[in-house]
Amino acid sequence: MQATITTRSFRDRWKGWTIGAALLGVLLLGAMAIYRDIDVDVYSSLPDVFLSMMGIPEGADVGVLSYAAVYGTYGAMTLAGLAIATGSASIAGEERNGTIGLLFANPTSRTQVLVAKAAALVLLAGLGAVILHGAGLFAPALLDVSTSGTYLGALMFHMFVNALFYGFMAMAVGAWTGKGPIASGVSAGVMIISFIAAGLLAAPALAQFNGLVRVMPWNFYNGSDPINNGVDWGDMAVLIAGIALFVVIGVIGINRRDFRGRTTGVTLLDRLRSHPLTATVAERLAGSSRVSQIWIKTASEHQGLLLITSAVMFLLMGVIMGPLYSLMDADLLSMADGLPEVFLALFGGGNMSTPEGFYQLETFGMMAPAAIMTATITIGAGALAGEEARGTMGLLLANPVRRSTVLLQKTVAMVLYGATVGFAAFAGVAAGSLMGGLGMSISNIAATSLLATLVGIVIGSLALAIGAATGRLSAAIAGAAGAAILFHLLNAFLPLSDRFAGYAKWSPFYYYLTSDPLVNGMHWGHAAVLAGLTIGLVALSVLLFERRDLRKNG
Amino acid sequence: MTDQFAIQTEELTKHYGKVRALEDLTLDIHTGEIVGFLGPNGAGKTTMIRTIMDEIRATSGRASILGMDTHTHSVEIRKHIGYVPGDLAMYPNLTGRDTLTYFSNLRGGVDWGYVEVLADRLDADLSRKVGDLSTGNRQKVGLIQAFMNQPDLLIMDEPSSGLDPLVQREFQTMMRELTAEGRTVFLSSHTLSEVQRVADRVGIIRQGRLAVVESIAELRSKALRRVDLAFDAAVDGSVFEQFPGVRDVVVENHHVSMSFEGQMESLLNLATSRYTLVDITTQEADLEEIFLTYYHDEAESV
Repeated sequence: MQATITTRSFRDRWKGWTIGAALLGVLLLGAMAIYRDIDVDVYSSLPDVFLSMMGIPEGADVGVLSYAAVYGTYGAMTLAGLAIATGSASIAGEERNGTIGLLFANPTSRTQVLVAKAAALVLLAGLGAVILHGAGLFAPALLDVSTSGTYLGALMFHMFVNALFYGFMAMAVGAWTGKGPIASGVSAGVMIISFIAAGLLAAPALAQFNGLVRVMPWNFYNGSDPINNGVDWGDMAVLIAGIALFVVIGVIGINRRDFRGRTTGVTLLDRLRSHPLTATVAERLAGSSRVSQIWIKTASEHQGLLLITSAVMFLLMGVIMGPLYSLMDADLLSMADGLPEVFLALFGGGNMSTPEGFYQLETFGMMAPAAIMTATITIGAGALAGEEARGTMGLLLANPVRRSTVLLQKTVAMVLYGATVGFAAFAGVAAGSLMGGLGMSISNIAATSLLATLVGIVIGSLALAIGAATGRLSAAIAGAAGAAILFHLLNAFLPLSDRFAGYAKWSPFYYYLTSDPLVNGMHWGHAAVLAGLTIGLVALSVLLFERRDLRKNG
Repeated sequence: MTDQFAIQTEELTKHYGKVRALEDLTLDIHTGEIVGFLGPNGAGKTTMIRTIMDEIRATSGRASILGMDTHTHSVEIRKHIGYVPGDLAMYPNLTGRDTLTYFSNLRGGVDWGYVEVLADRLDADLSRKVGDLSTGNRQKVGLIQAFMNQPDLLIMDEPSSGLDPLVQREFQTMMRELTAEGRTVFLSSHTLSEVQRVADRVGIIRQGRLAVVESIAELRSKALRRVDLAFDAAVDGSVFEQFPGVRDVVVENHHVSMSFEGQMESLLNLATSRYTLVDITTQEADLEEIFLTYYHDEAESV
């Protein structure tokens, strides 16, 4: 019985893991090809804070650099992300789908089910690590790159254990609460915060915080530099102990509570609605206003996500960075002279010695578009594919509204979400600049935030288009997120090589930071390209959606 | 625009790759009648309904609702109809009232007094979130949604799933009231008893093809049923064996039992003309037997 549950859970998920790992393998091949083409000595002159952020050890050669950049950071985060998705779906997912009752109609104990799900997670993470390891051996052999002195197996083992740590955290939270979004949100939050903190605080410039680094889970994964030094059994023991603890917590959690039926979430508005003081106003907001238009209803569906991503962008990536920069300023300045042009291009010409360059690296380079895209992809994919997966599209379209009207109204909600997170980033960075006394141009911050919002909306429109074409929620989310990572990396790596630099223009991200808007202000031409892409994708979505058979269910 | 037909399909065909979900389906439904659409699971009932709702597009053939083409005029059509999809799914986070308000807004408003009346008649709780409702209570919200704009045509795919018998009866009354006003109801079902009670005509669909369209009375007379006749003396079974529509005759002393398909009157005439009939029991044909009859015939004709 347990073996059956393990096998089924494995079969439900193996495709996602295989595609994710294979994609990373391809990226490794591409990164190695480009690194082989350029002078990698530039990296030795980079500031520590950047190197530790990216998990790149000192004195790295082509092989180490590729492993560290593609596997060490993106790879580890992808594996951990897949583990979180799998872990949070283990128990909470069955409850959301309403299948938990059926599952427990079989003669198995709750503990047995949890253990079976845990075994599936271990197998899946193992599958991912094996594929990555294979690609890690294949790429250098194909490109004739030396990898002597590197411990690929050790890195894989660290990544495997690291992924399981977050996966089991998600499983434990899911088993305890029965709520998938909370399980994945908490685990992903811990992962991202500990990733940023472990990288940032480990820099010598912030020596006073180094003690804090020791408690960051991400540090136990790569603090010992496994690609150069092999497995650190002490650090691994800590993570494995953490995994064991999560299993125990999960077993206790799943045994102590009532299972949920098909779940309905409780939103902030619902709480206000039931409170006597706020009932009248909230009733109008949550009730009649909320359902007055398709776009308003769509926008009301992911309040939690919007609230969290906006708050993270505003506080963590915006406000806090300003005063932090003031602390680090002197050290960065002294290093800035040695930075080669070719490297600066990676971050759109940002200069680390200036607050603009710092904000570009920390906030706008990756986190701002990622946060905006989280919002736009969620709405873009959910707009059509989500409504079809939940089986409500038939009912919605039984009303006298055109398919194109539904699509355009949902696009409005998506743009609104992107703009809200983009505005939070703008407000946060502007406040951070003021608090840190950095004197950055407010209009340039606005311009950069606007371009970030536009690039996020382009990717959201891509999710919309995939959803319009296929009606499949998972295809829309995975396709858009995968394309975003690919486009981001293309734009980051291609300009390093003279041969490939021109191709970067094919990535939407080229039109985001290449013009260096934090320094130079708005580049309306690039904004127009992004806006045009959005219009094109939305128009394409209308065409695709109008002529397609609706899916009956997910 | 011809007002005579509520729904008309002409050789409506839908293929999914090699799967023939719907094959040359031609059907006329007049205004003011209730038509039941019967068939086992997977026969093509839902495919047909989704096609005329423009959710999916026909491979060939055409369909019209209230005289308008179901594809080119789908938005205009939807102003005049109410629809309950099969496997009804709604927004779990909205209350029943929010859900109805949403659809009412998309329709440009409905009479809320009527909504309250409907909710009252079906005993529906509109204050709770749809996701927290049981299947039957959720279905009630779906039904109110379909009735609330007082549609000229109601299209419903298995509308009474999950409803308790009392509510089912009320729902049937509501359908009849609608047709009394000259409106039309088209519903699919796999339970004959429901269709039997409410429908004027029945279409039976099998493997994507329309096997038969008939009035309920005709269908009943055609249906195979078990008949037991008891006489005051021993009888000759061959008399019944030769009678058209009779099968599987078993004679047991004074009793004769048989399967019969046809007008009951003629069989009784035969029985009483020769012997003295003491007792009669008949078992009403259930859906399964009717299906078997039509499926049997079709298998023979192929």
